[in-house]
Amino acid sequence: MSQKLVIDPVTRVEGHGKVTVHLDDQNKVKDAFFHIVEFRGFERFIQGHPYWEAPVLVQRLCGICPVSHHLAAGKAIDQIVGLDPGDLSLPAQKIRKLLHFGQVFQSHALHFFYLASPDLLFGFDADPVKRNVVGVAMDYPALAKKGILMRKFGQEIIKMVAGKRIHGISTTPGGVHKKITVKERNRFLDGKELPSIDTMIEWSVEILDFMKEYHKKNSAFLDGFADYPSGHLGLVKKENGFLELYDGNLRATDAKGNITLDDIPDVDYAKHFYEGVEKWSYLKFPYLKHIGREHGWNRVGPLARVNICNGIETPLAEKERIEFKLAGGDINNKTMHTHWARLIEILYCAEMMKNLLEDDDIISNDLVRKGTRRSEGVGIIEAPRGTLIHHYEVDDKDRITRCNLIVSTTHNNEAMNRAVRWVAQNEISGQPKVTEAMMNQIEVAIRAYDPCLSCATHALGQMPLDISIIDQYGNILDERLRN
Amino acid sequence: MKDYETKILLLGIGNSGRSDDGLGWAFLDAMQDKLTSEFDLEYRYQLQIEDAELISNYDVVYFIDAHLDQFAQGYHLEPCLPLRTESFSTHQLDPRTVVYLCESIYNKRPETFTLGISGVAFDLNIGISAQAKSNLSNALNFFENSILELTINK
Repeated sequence: MSQKLVIDPVTRVEGHGKVTVHLDDQNKVKDAFFHIVEFRGFERFIQGHPYWEAPVLVQRLCGICPVSHHLAAGKAIDQIVGLDPGDLSLPAQKIRKLLHFGQVFQSHALHFFYLASPDLLFGFDADPVKRNVVGVAMDYPALAKKGILMRKFGQEIIKMVAGKRIHGISTTPGGVHKKITVKERNRFLDGKELPSIDTMIEWSVEILDFMKEYHKKNSAFLDGFADYPSGHLGLVKKENGFLELYDGNLRATDAKGNITLDDIPDVDYAKHFYEGVEKWSYLKFPYLKHIGREHGWNRVGPLARVNICNGIETPLAEKERIEFKLAGGDINNKTMHTHWARLIEILYCAEMMKNLLEDDDIISNDLVRKGTRRSEGVGIIEAPRGTLIHHYEVDDKDRITRCNLIVSTTHNNEAMNRAVRWVAQNEISGQPKVTEAMMNQIEVAIRAYDPCLSCATHALGQMPLDISIIDQYGNILDERLRN
Repeated sequence: MKDYETKILLLGIGNSGRSDDGLGWAFLDAMQDKLTSEFDLEYRYQLQIEDAELISNYDVVYFIDAHLDQFAQGYHLEPCLPLRTESFSTHQLDPRTVVYLCESIYNKRPETFTLGISGVAFDLNIGISAQAKSNLSNALNFFENSILELTINK
């Protein structure tokens, strides 16, 4: 008899998702889906609000990455008031970048230490009661303490710039509204109250050393698990194609590294992308128009960014990027290497924060510029999880008439579905019994993308994920629900 | 002059966008101008593992949160003893687990209490219900007249 396997909720992800695996009467996988079951409608209810409210409203999409939405919306609203990113004052640009690097740093630390490390440290088949951050804290307290303080450092940067760790406010149309004082800045340099930025760099290098050592011992798993071809998309620096998180051109490659989107201005994104839909998920499926739905989808996030960039401007992260390329190839399609790439970005963010904290422009009073009003604005940044697009149109009464958000996790929708199918086909298909470890492998594959399902569906409330096995008649034969 | 100033943290948990779930934050809002230098305030949507590090820096910690139980006086204060609890998400830790982690990782054991304030409405809405406002008032009176008074006169 055929079966359906259900994982509900998927855990250690940001949001509520569900996995179903359909088996035939030989226990062979027929198909597998990653369903996103939240719905929110943010793009709709923001219509009619004055444009200057957008950066404050849209950050309520999420409690994990509100800064990313705040900044992407802020960049779009700058254009409504007539300013492109380079038109802002240098201090405003640098303060926004400092905020952004603080956000990516804390978000990546949260993901690696809190969500991903339990799988690496304890294994797929460890008791779920132990396989979580509390277990990590108990068995690896030194590692946990560093993870906590790295996350705290990024959060304190956010608090300094935006006033609060979650849902603070920094951007104003044409700049930022608050300067940074010398005393506030020095707190991150002197190491008295918090470990200093130099310590953050040192710890970032240490955790990369841990990952490289882990790779040496577990290369078969890290290299082979959920390795499948995909496109890769992200921003790169306009001048040299290097890694860029705040403002750049959009570049995409196919699975072999051939350019499929050639450094286009980010504001032209709509000319190149469509968003597909499926009946079984609220999450859309973006793809490149000229390639089509079947092959035009891309991964986004740390792995994609490290894949597509020509280099990294900070020396320690660049050294790590080169080692990463040597280990994984020029274009790397190995899902589990996303964790490694994420750690390279942690180091990059730490180095960039040091540069900015030591730059006196961030304590300047030159914070806001003015321009000539426009009716449309597009803000694209690289959020922790990948390319984040905010697009607004406004009428002559300053009201938002149209809002389009393409969130990082939405770009990764097809990639996560492929990851689920990979695990179903390679680890579950044909097995006489579905074990806890097999089920967790599905979650491990999804978790590598650090999906933020609340953002992606723009949802509210509890955020669990579920997995179910369904037979050929539609009966649920096995199910995992977590609440 | 005191040789050592006891460090006290009031940690309000909740969400002011969900009616009475904002009781913890409302408590802090009401207290902030009345507190002496020993006290710090922190607002949280939910408790996370890093809060173990936070409370390790204090001598006394009060976790203040809305409560579903309807207490006779509208509030209830009790010691918060360390306990490892399990839930599907470690994004939302029980205060007792935060105390447990503080003790286990940082070898610190502040005096910890939970102050629950009875709420009745938790839908999406800004503003606290009339019943919860009355409960909040009782809790504030209690805190000011006992805990705060004790601290100031110690």
